[in-house]
Amino acid sequence: MTIIRTDPLSSPHCRHIDKERELIHVDCASHIYPDGSVGIHDMCFYVKKNEIVALCGPNGSGKSTLIEHLNGLLTPSEGNIAVNGRSITKGELTDLWREVGVVFQQSDDQLFAPTVLDDVMFGPLNLGMSREAALNAATGALEAVGAADLVQKLPNYLSGGQKRLISIAGILAMKPRIIALDEPTSDLDPVHSGMIEGLILELKQRFGISVVIATHDLDLAARIADRVCLVRKGSVFAEGTPAEIFYDEELLQETGLKPPQIVRVYRAYCRMQGIPADQHPISIEGMMVAIRGK
Amino acid sequence: MSAASLSDHIPDLNLITYYAEKQQSCFSRLSPWTKFAYLILIILLVTLSGNLAILTVLYLVLLGAYAAAHLPVRKLFGWYTMPAVFVLSLVGIMAWSEPGNPVISFAVAGFPLVLTDKGILLVVTLLLKALIVVTFSLFFLMTTRYMHFSAMIYRLFPSPLDQIFLMAYRFLFLTLAMTGSILKAVRSRGGGLIHSIRVQGRMFAEVFALVFIRSFERSERVHKAMIARGFSGSYGTATGIPALRHAEYLLICAGAAVVLAVALMTPSLGG
Repeated sequence: MTIIRTDPLSSPHCRHIDKERELIHVDCASHIYPDGSVGIHDMCFYVKKNEIVALCGPNGSGKSTLIEHLNGLLTPSEGNIAVNGRSITKGELTDLWREVGVVFQQSDDQLFAPTVLDDVMFGPLNLGMSREAALNAATGALEAVGAADLVQKLPNYLSGGQKRLISIAGILAMKPRIIALDEPTSDLDPVHSGMIEGLILELKQRFGISVVIATHDLDLAARIADRVCLVRKGSVFAEGTPAEIFYDEELLQETGLKPPQIVRVYRAYCRMQGIPADQHPISIEGMMVAIRGK
Repeated sequence: MSAASLSDHIPDLNLITYYAEKQQSCFSRLSPWTKFAYLILIILLVTLSGNLAILTVLYLVLLGAYAAAHLPVRKLFGWYTMPAVFVLSLVGIMAWSEPGNPVISFAVAGFPLVLTDKGILLVVTLLLKALIVVTFSLFFLMTTRYMHFSAMIYRLFPSPLDQIFLMAYRFLFLTLAMTGSILKAVRSRGGGLIHSIRVQGRMFAEVFALVFIRSFERSERVHKAMIARGFSGSYGTATGIPALRHAEYLLICAGAAVVLAVALMTPSLGG
């Protein structure tokens, strides 16, 4: 994969990738809020089967707006969104939430039911499942996120990390094909961040779910993403593999982001040793191999 | 005072829920239906009977049960402030016009004011009735797990009342936490000290406005999160409520018999 750069000010043409593997296709979508502010502008984006895509960009770049479009909470003022070939603009998609689950940044906004079990069962019941089937789906999802022991707890008594796990369970119980997470590790301690990170990988590897994460945490994106999309001024500005994107200093500067820690450490090491930083490790293991090779 | 508690005179939802979830006494093991039946019986009893002796005994029994359930008695007395003020503000006026033997009499601007023994009895009786209901309601809340309580509401109340209640309870916690953190921020910068009524009033108005705006924004986000999971206007609770046991049926029958006996003894009801 090579870096694809687009100019946000011109009207780009969306690349059509392998249709067989494409789950979501956002085709030059724009959204203008009622107050006139631009949420997304000529946004072109796609999600393939069984991949983790990281949307990285500064505050107000349009990541959260895009995520709300993926679930159907917002509809584009212009352009189109298609999921599995069904188009939202042609009215073929009125129940996008069945296909794409969204985990919001603030877990307190998502957990509204009296108990954890009620909250996790909320989605399955809306899908039309019987109470017994919804209970099974909820129990299974809670077990999958490692929170089966919280089933009878009140959301009020959960820690931030537990709330985030329950939020994910609430979406997982609906068995969507795609899960979009808005800032999944924000405000979490390192232990819970690690748990969420492991869980995101598991969503892809064990459940075959495609995952979209909107994040400022480039270290997280470097560790788990298959593909990184840099978002600026409401458009995908560049996309590529984490190694391609995060070693392009000029690109990150243009987007208003700083390289992940691993990139900075590797570059600093190479500078200190007076050797060229010609490899692009994005994990600690990769960096060790790169350093040993020199 | 817990983080979200605004005052020692307002029942602290966090503390109430803490005790309810702790489940530390035999009363917690009673079916919520039994406690609900007793709530109705107690309301009936205080409505039917004006006998001070019966009401005093009932109040002492409830206070004893409250203490036996390891619930915080001192807090309870603090929480009595609101119902007491409510009762006194209403009955305090009525008591002065009650016929009976004068106890205190004086004139204000030429108008004679007489407080009679029956007036005092009225205040005490109504205050006692209010405290009985408040004590048992708090006892019920603090010995019943919230999941069972919400399931009862879902089964008993018609829509949309049940929906409003199910959503409001969690939202109350969040709003209280938000108000608590705003007040903390105010106090941390020297606010909250009484400089003048005008300054104090303005500060509380600002806090209220901020809480209102933030609550409104939050409710929009909560609604969005519900829509994202297919919310179409109603939702329920999945929890089952522990059923009544044989002994509990007997307990309810005994309570009903007492209420019936009191009703029959009440002169105005033909006793």
